[in-house]
Amino acid sequence: MKIDKKNISQKESITIKYFHKHTSKNFGIVSYTGEVGFDRTINQPNLHRPGLALAGFVKLFSYDRIQIFGNTEISYLNSLPIEKRKIIFENIFEFNIPCIVITNGVMPFPELIELALKKGIPIFGSSLDTTKISYLIVDFLDDVFANKLSVHASFVDVYGIGMLFVGKSGIGKSEVALDLVERGHRLVADDVVILTKKGEGILMGTGTSLGSHFMEIRGIGIIDVRSMFGVRAIRFQKRLEVIVELEVWDPNQAYTRTGLDITNIQIINVDIPIIKLPILPGKNITVVAEVIALNYLLKHYGYDAAKVLSENIQKKMERPEDFDISNVNYFEHDFE
Amino acid sequence: MIEKNVEIINKAGLHTRPAATIVKIASQFESDFYIMKDGFSINGKSIIGVMTLAAAKGSVIKLTFEGEDEVKMSDAIIDYFNRGFDEL
Repeated sequence: MKIDKKNISQKESITIKYFHKHTSKNFGIVSYTGEVGFDRTINQPNLHRPGLALAGFVKLFSYDRIQIFGNTEISYLNSLPIEKRKIIFENIFEFNIPCIVITNGVMPFPELIELALKKGIPIFGSSLDTTKISYLIVDFLDDVFANKLSVHASFVDVYGIGMLFVGKSGIGKSEVALDLVERGHRLVADDVVILTKKGEGILMGTGTSLGSHFMEIRGIGIIDVRSMFGVRAIRFQKRLEVIVELEVWDPNQAYTRTGLDITNIQIINVDIPIIKLPILPGKNITVVAEVIALNYLLKHYGYDAAKVLSENIQKKMERPEDFDISNVNYFEHDFE
Repeated sequence: MIEKNVEIINKAGLHTRPAATIVKIASQFESDFYIMKDGFSINGKSIIGVMTLAAAKGSVIKLTFEGEDEVKMSDAIIDYFNRGFDEL
């Protein structure tokens, strides 16, 4: 499988409108300033607690991040007379800050709203506590600003294992995916799969907003898996766990026979096991795919068939006097 | 490798039929063919991919060709774009 660096993309900024649309839906963030400043942009996935900046120390004020007003900031501001507060807000708004989020459901000071409207800086509020909402916003921004890679592949959830089928055009990726769907597995995306790095060491896969569960089958054309097989046959996102590379059998290539050694491929700095599967007449790729998933599950829960067999052989070799080639030597009249 | 920016010039944009034709032309060649739009790159031999670009009239997309017959392939594809998908 070839990973092309130029297919990796990353968002450089998002608008406040985009931020508000998603955070209001997912975490119930509300806007106290209507749609004022919705065309401003957020350029980095970090937050800032401006406690020191409010107190007057602005030397290292990370003003270009989302500003969080938590209990500390609010209690400090509450302890001041209104005139002093106004001066502080004016000082803060001298900087080009993207927006302010006030936590714990605290209503913003009227003078803050007034000045924000004048300066065109949005003020948002959340009923969640500072730690919780900070975590959620950072998690959201991390995903938005994450490296994304689009690959030409089919992505299916097989027994809960996210399996990505790659290979040349026309080798039968979509047909394998369709066969798996028919057997009760769930399609995530076909043809265009977008992989996003989530945290460290995790890749999440999804389809495009337009063509998520559409599929092209040579000779038939375009089908919609969701309307054809129902909602049980699809899902919208899945962690990528195994890559299966389909290729025409090449007699010069050595294919894995024991499975003791795992080959990994690095995608956006995440190692994912890759299995090369030669296509041969009479080979049922769907069943093999299911077996790959089951084997992955077994390994995940601590049972590695190749290792167990290899250990058994080792044991026998250490005690050759117990060695018997046949599994059963006395058949106990069980002539089945 | 050949890289070229092309503009969609027909009124209806890159809709289903031109998408199918592009994929059909591309499949006659061995080289890899990618289309890039809005920072996303898709395989030009995948019909769903080409369609979901939803490239409207006036949008500029980047085509890349890589392989042994890349010159012939790029000529055929770029010609089809320049003809406005025969819909002008």
